[in-house]
Amino acid sequence: MSWEHLIWFAAAAIIFWVAAAVSAFRSKRVWPTASLTLVGSAIFFAFIIGMWISLERPPMRTMGETRLWYSFFLSLAGAAVFIRWRYKWILSFSTMMSVVFICINLFKPEIHSKSLMPALQSVWFVPHVIVYMFAYAMMGAVTIFALYLWLRPRREASDEELGMCDNLVRIGWAFLTLGMIMGALWAKEAWGDFWTWDPKETWAAATWLSYLLYLHLRPRVSDRNVLFGLLVFSFLLLQMCWYGINYLPSAQGASVHVY
Amino acid sequence: MTLKWGYKRAFLRCALLFLAGTTLQLAVGDFDNSFLRYPWGLILAINYCYILILISSLKNKWKWLGQLGDGYACISSLASMIVLTIIFGLTRQDSATEGIVGALGFSRMTSSWGFNLLLFYFTTTLGLAVIDDFRHLRKRRVAAVMSHAAVFIILAASMFGSADKQRVMATLPLDKVVDECVTQSGERVQLPFTMSLREFSMEEYPPKLYILDVQTESSSADFLLVESEGDEAEVDSWKIKAVKSVDMAGRMPDEQEYKPMNHVGAAPAVYVVAEKSATGEHYEGWVSCGSHIFEPSYLFLGKRYAVAMPRREAKRYLSKVVVADDEGMHNFDIEVNHPARIGSWRIYQVGYDTSRGRWSTYSVLECVRDGWYSVIHIALWMLLATGVVMFATAGGRKIANKKARKGDKI
Repeated sequence: MSWEHLIWFAAAAIIFWVAAAVSAFRSKRVWPTASLTLVGSAIFFAFIIGMWISLERPPMRTMGETRLWYSFFLSLAGAAVFIRWRYKWILSFSTMMSVVFICINLFKPEIHSKSLMPALQSVWFVPHVIVYMFAYAMMGAVTIFALYLWLRPRREASDEELGMCDNLVRIGWAFLTLGMIMGALWAKEAWGDFWTWDPKETWAAATWLSYLLYLHLRPRVSDRNVLFGLLVFSFLLLQMCWYGINYLPSAQGASVHVY
Repeated sequence: MTLKWGYKRAFLRCALLFLAGTTLQLAVGDFDNSFLRYPWGLILAINYCYILILISSLKNKWKWLGQLGDGYACISSLASMIVLTIIFGLTRQDSATEGIVGALGFSRMTSSWGFNLLLFYFTTTLGLAVIDDFRHLRKRRVAAVMSHAAVFIILAASMFGSADKQRVMATLPLDKVVDECVTQSGERVQLPFTMSLREFSMEEYPPKLYILDVQTESSSADFLLVESEGDEAEVDSWKIKAVKSVDMAGRMPDEQEYKPMNHVGAAPAVYVVAEKSATGEHYEGWVSCGSHIFEPSYLFLGKRYAVAMPRREAKRYLSKVVVADDEGMHNFDIEVNHPARIGSWRIYQVGYDTSRGRWSTYSVLECVRDGWYSVIHIALWMLLATGVVMFATAGGRKIANKKARKGDKI
């Protein structure tokens, strides 16, 4: 499997995801729709596994490789939310975002080398990245939903709709926590410190605290502008943590998380 | 939207704390945590927990004590920590003392008074919430209670144990006993044990061949990974084929050929055929990255380009070390991600002689002593379990929603 095969696997996956997104609005039954989206995810996962085998290491080292997981987990997160809470719109959102990240990978392919530096050869490497990508996917979904609720004309967000945001944030925050703790346990094994305030870690802490503030503000604050504004702001912090530090002058040459 | 008086008061408290921190920063310089060295860190930590329990018990009697751990304090301290963490992320941590950023201590955030005071306040607020949680334990709040408690333990242990951490570096030459290490500031430290390096070994990735532009000194983005003889790839419109590959090779000064060699300093060598179909050019010859004994070899493709092999990347490296202490001798295989543990010390593989690579005659190890390791480790696993519980129970409860009207107070 090579990077050139992505377009074929992605095309097949997108066909299933789009079909599922349409079916969510047309059909009242959950499982046919869920099956369609899960088949799309399985096709995309087959590409990731193929890359894993041909690279002889987990495809998680480069930014492009993490985008593959992001697209995959977005689709999976969409399916999970749809099955659990029957939100019709979620599959359209997850498909749209997955497609955006696949397009970035198609138009900006990266050279994929087989080498994996010794520090990355840890039992924590795979779960740490996977859990973080799942959290990012959840937070991506909730941000788009929040923007839709915030900016749509005439109708203010209902309690149920805000409840959906809460659920997604809670799941996303749980995964952010898991990713952060796995990173800390790994860092102790690799470098002797749980936490070193490396730029990536600093921004991960800011992101984690910001979503935590949302969770603590929810029972106390009724103003939709404050809540949605905080969700969007938190997602901007997440972007800084994910790839923003690669361009941030204060982080240049100061992070071990460069990829 | 207007802000309730409770929030105003709580945010004002944070602002005053930051102001006090800034004043202290300007007056006495960086926050020095050496007063927390064992046993003082532990004594203060126990007293701190006692004071928190005391505050929690007396909060009904003195209202202002209750304000230290109420909802307003929670939101304001959390928001203050976010602001400071963002400033932390935007400021280069280079210990600079010049300019406003340096004077305020932002370039040394973990040693700045403002950051430490607000972190202490945040931890205090959290600690009071934990006590409150345990006093009014409810089943549906299990995840919240666990996460509060775990984060509190992690923060409190990190603060009170911050001065007990010791990091020292040791360079171990082969078969020499080392009992001294050097701190970051160059101070020599006697270890409670001795270490000696018995063997250093390294596994490397297969060689890579790039097209080098001699004029611009840049190399191609693509490369040929030589895993076996016969491997070929197209790199920058050149078809490169690895006809012969020798993992450990050497070449005598008067010879053209690389020959297999089982000796210190042996380097990988590949016999390469390079062709450009557009021009019909054909070149062949040996390419090697060289070693500390042998010079590297290139295959020149005309005047401008050449096939080059950079030094191979390390896949893993391992030090077989014998550690001796009062209890006897212990054999350890130390590699990255697999430190050795002896008492409260952990020994990490850090480096080697990169100019000699796999033939390095010494290994660089780092010894880390962390007396609070177990406390933080347990709390981290507790938080990990909380994450799983939180995911499993998400969606199970609803937050009371209120519709906001213009002019409502939050």
